[in-house]
Amino acid sequence: MWKYEKTLEYPVNIKNPNPALAKVILAQLGGPDGEMGAASRYLSQRYTMPCRQVQGILTDIGTEELAHAEIVSAIIYQLTRNLTPKQIAESGFDAYYVNHTTGIYPADANGVGFTADYIQSTGDPIADLHEDLAAEQKARLSYDNILRLADDPDVRDPIKFLREREIVHFQRFGEGLRMTTDQLDAKNFYAFNPAFDKK
Amino acid sequence: MSSERQKLLRRLQAARFALVEINLYLDSHPTCSEGLKYFRTKSEEVKKLTAEYQEKYGPITAADSKADGYWDWVAQAFPWERGES
Repeated sequence: MWKYEKTLEYPVNIKNPNPALAKVILAQLGGPDGEMGAASRYLSQRYTMPCRQVQGILTDIGTEELAHAEIVSAIIYQLTRNLTPKQIAESGFDAYYVNHTTGIYPADANGVGFTADYIQSTGDPIADLHEDLAAEQKARLSYDNILRLADDPDVRDPIKFLREREIVHFQRFGEGLRMTTDQLDAKNFYAFNPAFDKK
Repeated sequence: MSSERQKLLRRLQAARFALVEINLYLDSHPTCSEGLKYFRTKSEEVKKLTAEYQEKYGPITAADSKADGYWDWVAQAFPWERGES
């Protein structure tokens, strides 16, 4: 069960529209390492985790990723306010605009729509947690790349917050992996799958 | 949004964020006494600030609406609008 809170996890207040930058930041909404994928990945994987702490980590980080999808969406929404057809044509935002106007659609920076093919839920806790650690690093580097392209402090500020959260989540997933392996055969973590095999 | 309202909202967001962060920390450190104490302090702070904010500026969750004469949940802007977060 979820409840919506009518406040962003981190404020977004952007003075100057910038459709070219909006197009780049779209990567972190519906791209392969974006927030939609992160939320779907963790909230799908949590069911078969063998211990409650790790179920908690996946539930709570997955929930926070939904709030991050909202922050990224708010950034794109505010960067594409009051555009003229000339600004749209000159910024390269025209390819997105022709299908979506200034609506928020989960796609990557090239306009390719979000797909569940970006994520896995293997039913193997060790494999899933390693995917989660990699996912946090891929999201972190995507935010680093956005920061190299963004000058506007109104945009950089919430992007820096999102980047920082990837690092904290990476830390928590590392602890989740340790808690999982602590409960396995110390001589061979792969001796059995705790989510499937009977010990 | 008035500057007074924004000041209160910033305090509320900071306290709510602290609660998100300590929640994740406690998921992997469930017996850390310092962490548990921090959670209790922040949880109280969030309750107090949320009550103050909602009393003055309207509900943060639909369930906290007063529903007295009109549906106040949709009376205030949603937070993705510029100047509303």
